[in-house]
Amino acid sequence: MNQNSPKRTESDRRAKESRFGRLIRRPEIGAFSGMVVILVFLAVVAGDVVYNPLGIKNNLSIIGQLGIIAIGACLLMIAGEFDLSIGSMIGFAGMSMAMMMKWGLPFGLGEATPLTAFLLTMIMTLGIGCLIGNIVVRSGLSSFIVTLAFLFILRGLTEVCFREFNEGSTQISGLPDFKQDDFFAYLFGGEAFKWVFSLFYEIGWNVNRRGEQWVTGLDARVAWWMVLAMVTYIVLSRTQLGNWIYATGDNKESARANGVPVRQVKIGLFMFTAFCATLFAACQVFDTNTADAAKGNLKELEAIAAAVVGGTVMTGGFGSILGVIFGAVIFGLVQNSVFYISWIDGSYYRVFLGTVLLIAAFGNENIRKRITGGI
Amino acid sequence: MVSASGTPLVRLENIVKKFGPFTALNGVSMDVYPGEVHALLGDNGAGKSTLIKILAGVYQPTSGQIHVEGNPVNFRTPRDATRAGVGTVYQDLALNQLMSVTRNFFMGREIYSGPAPIGIMKMDEMDRITHDEMIKIGIDISDPGQAVGTMSGGQRQTLAIARAIYFGAKVLILDEPTSALGQRQQMEVLKTIKRVRALGTIAIIFITHNEVHSKLVADRFTFLSLGEVIGSGVREGLAGDDIRRLMAGGAEMADLEMELATI
Repeated sequence: MNQNSPKRTESDRRAKESRFGRLIRRPEIGAFSGMVVILVFLAVVAGDVVYNPLGIKNNLSIIGQLGIIAIGACLLMIAGEFDLSIGSMIGFAGMSMAMMMKWGLPFGLGEATPLTAFLLTMIMTLGIGCLIGNIVVRSGLSSFIVTLAFLFILRGLTEVCFREFNEGSTQISGLPDFKQDDFFAYLFGGEAFKWVFSLFYEIGWNVNRRGEQWVTGLDARVAWWMVLAMVTYIVLSRTQLGNWIYATGDNKESARANGVPVRQVKIGLFMFTAFCATLFAACQVFDTNTADAAKGNLKELEAIAAAVVGGTVMTGGFGSILGVIFGAVIFGLVQNSVFYISWIDGSYYRVFLGTVLLIAAFGNENIRKRITGGI
Repeated sequence: MVSASGTPLVRLENIVKKFGPFTALNGVSMDVYPGEVHALLGDNGAGKSTLIKILAGVYQPTSGQIHVEGNPVNFRTPRDATRAGVGTVYQDLALNQLMSVTRNFFMGREIYSGPAPIGIMKMDEMDRITHDEMIKIGIDISDPGQAVGTMSGGQRQTLAIARAIYFGAKVLILDEPTSALGQRQQMEVLKTIKRVRALGTIAIIFITHNEVHSKLVADRFTFLSLGEVIGSGVREGLAGDDIRRLMAGGAEMADLEMELATI
């Protein structure tokens, strides 16, 4: 008998990965490369307008607000579900807060402050998120359908409430500028990282034509995005809850068999997307002092797209916060910056994003197949 | 000779299970001893699945009594059974392919510090335990961070078995662990079973269709047919023909051959 290597075992058949091999297997590597390409491309074609202080502020504002809801969509998608109601939830939450600020708290609770308006709205949206989650896990219906229903329901309710209580108008504008003297409103509508821009001014970069400081700081939503990203990064990659989220999305039957509270995880994440949508709305309302029934339209699809571009697998169980950060940067940057490039029709950004989305989805599926061995 | 002295780890006494008018089990008794592999054999529909589901707490018996370490027990839920030390490794193994070996090993029972459920997992400690527990039953996982989807079928079985043992299984129920595997993988699983047996404290109930596999590892046999025990014994007491005959539900091979010849 011809025995060439008697000590060979099953585990020897798997080549040990090099550091590099491990790196290119990470879920966020595609999004990271894409982001670098776009940053370089923009530097070449429109560096002077994209990377000046105002360009940075505007770009990060768009990126940050998309990033907030993309993180919610990403976590939910890792757990194997969708939420198409994010956009309508933004409209609903914005309407609720602005209306309370203008007409006072409901149920005769008196005058509203930014804090009470925010908290009361948050209680409502978390309640709706909880309801959506319960319907999904108890009925076993696809979350696609359930949240699609809430996309219509919430948008409709938002318009009805506006017409009913706001003298027939579906928008509110001209609210007082609360962020001027209310700290809580300033937290959402004010500015962050002012010291960075002061520093830029000191070194002679952030100067306008009159020789004064040009840009004073970033929108607060950028800071919220960063905080949210940091917290969710730790939760997803390091905590027990993170393990439960991955387990729930990968195979919920085996997760349940091992004692993972699958239902609670899903309901909690539907509430988290509602939380993200409310945060988004608060930043918008207290920044612009306006609200509109159409706010947040189609944002749910952008959030899902950013999550997919960031390496989140549509069927669940795989994805990362780092990836969704890069995904949000790609999306926000392209959406905002293409308009700076004079020789490109601005609407090409949609063509570009569609293409990127398709490539990302192919890439993700490829990674998933490689891991599960089904080549 | 296998010693039949001492108390059995698990004793099933006259287990009857009826689903409406259908009698799935009609008074089944069996004893399972620590450090032994007890093969449970029988054709499809013989009642093997019903029996292990009763032992795993999924079904409650219509009548009859289960004893664990001499004490009568009543499993109302799978959780009761797990707590009493009955670990079941089902065919699907309850593993998640996209997750790492360690994350699968501790799924739902993570080691963490801080408030649940947002306590920080002690990943190093969990990696080390996973590695050590897998080595005990013979597989050296070089990288506990590798995804389970990249492991072979035999390695996955070993992972599921190691996990059940680590989380307190004294009785290990293996539901057809070799059925979906290739030759080489089957041998890996049989080796794992032997190593678990060698630990000496764990009783294994090995459900299989495969006569050869049962003869390779089992100390004791119970044959089921139509919900009843039609034969049992220790390895030394059974000749190869007996096993084959009993597995086919008691039909004589010669009769079968004759029947086949007439078609």
